Formats: sequence, C-alpha cells, structure tokens
Amino acid sequence: MLAYRVPRQPSTPRIAIWRRLKRLGIAQLLDGLVALPLDSRTREALEWVADDVEAAGGEATVWIATPASRSQERALAAQMAQAVASEYEAVADEASAAGEQEPWLRRRTLARLRRELNRIRRRDFFPPAERERAEAAVEQLAATLEEAVAK
Amino acid sequence: MKWATRKHCHIDRAACAWLIRRFVDPEAEFVFVEDADEVPADATAFDMRGVELSHHGGDCSFETFLRRYELDDPVLWDIARIVHEADLDDERYDAPEAVGFDVALRGLSMVVDDERLLELTGPLFDGLYEFRKRALMLGREPA
Repeated sequence: MLAYRVPRQPSTPRIAIWRRLKRLGIAQLLDGLVALPLDSRTREALEWVADDVEAAGGEATVWIATPASRSQERALAAQMAQAVASEYEAVADEASAAGEQEPWLRRRTLARLRRELNRIRRRDFFPPAERERAEAAVEQLAATLEEAVAK
Repeated sequence: MKWATRKHCHIDRAACAWLIRRFVDPEAEFVFVEDADEVPADATAFDMRGVELSHHGGDCSFETFLRRYELDDPVLWDIARIVHEADLDDERYDAPEAVGFDVALRGLSMVVDDERLLELTGPLFDGLYEFRKRALMLGREPA
C-alpha cells in the first residue's frame, strides 16, 4: 500500500506518477492511497513510485497492510477486476469488429491486440470472465487469417 | 569491495552485479539484505530506496551505474535497454528481448538463492554482451 501526496504544481511529474500507478494496476482506496496485492515485485514497484513522489517534492510511505474483514478484501478485488474487465471488453469488441477488415490490415490489428492483451494481463491480479472472452475473440481473429492463407 | 543490495534479486540487481564484477570491481563481494538498516557500514548499497546507485528520474539502477561510472560502451547501453524494459516495463524503449529475460530471471529466482542466481546469470549476461556487440558491429543479428 502506498500513501502519497504530490504537489499540485508542476503537473507533469504528478501526471507521470499517476500514469505509472495506473499501469501497475493499483486499486485506489482514497485520494492519495493506493494498493496492490503483496508480492516482492509489487512491493518493489510501489517503493520506486514512492521515490519518484519524493523526487517530485511530495511525501510517500509504503505499508504492508491487511484488510480487517474478508468482505472488504473481496470488494477491493472486485473493484480491481472490474477495472481490467472493461479493458478486456474493449479488446474483445475491437477483435470482433476487425473480422471484416482486409487481411493485411487484420494482421496488423491482430498484432496490436495481442500486445494490448499482454499489457492488460500484466496488471490483472484477479482475472475476470471478460479475460477469456477477449482472448477467445483475439484467437478467433487469428483463425480467420489462417483461413485466408489456406484459400 | 563490499556491495549490498536487497534480497530476492531480479533482472536489475542481477545485471548490476554482473556489471560491477566485470567493469567496476572484479573482486566484488555481495551482501543481500532485507532492509536498508542491515547494510554493513563498509558496503556500497545499490538498487535500494534512498541510495545513490538506484533508480533515478525514470532510469533503472543499471542505467544509473552506467552514468555514475561513465561507462559509455554502446553495447552496455544496448543491454540497458533490455534491463530497463524487463524491470520497469514502461515502454521507454523497444526491447522485445525483455519479456524473455524477465520470465527467465523470475523463474530462476524461484528455484535458487541469490548467490546462485548471480553465479548463473553472470555467463548469461556475458553471452548477451557478446551477442549485442557482434550485432552492433555487423549492423544485423549475428548467426
């Protein structure tokens, strides 16, 4: 868990810090309080962000915390799953829509969507059902290309 | 010289240890600590919060080492690209090798301790150095 405060101005480091936290897949508990499931990598990642916050003239502390109740923990996991679910959905929609594209463009879209999927998977700590749907849609798109080659 | 870093080494610390042994201090001795307070007084700490040889302004520790020790070998900077992406994954560089290195190092850290990890990754980085050196000289990937 990272408790932090970054000065409002200048806004560039503040935005960079926020983007970095987003990419890590954090759950936001409050303004200036974010959390990740504990492992050695997530802990290290938050420590580096804490350093960035201090370098930007702010204050930051890293904590190892446990929710006091199971329901609180479940709610947090659900919040995190919900956040990645909408990203997976966007990938699934795009993959389905790309079925009509010319093969050369479809190939490019496929490569981009696969990269996007990888990026989302890295910040997905509680995989939602949408993940499988997105993976299936992307593989479906790959299959249409193989058909096009076979013809 | 004695060098200290955090336990559970991943790519950045493993790469820094290799860099230290090969380019900075061939006699280097490494100590692994849980907390910054445990760093021995006679050791130089790296890749830990609040120390000089660590992450700075978006750089990973390997890049900081190259800057602080003025190691301007282009092969090392080419390796830095891979270490940076495997460690931070922030898409600052295009480093397709990073994903593979990340998985290899994470897997290795599950089955061996830190000392052994450095023993095993040393030759891996030696090989990477040789490969990237030839690639830079040839202008294409070597056989």
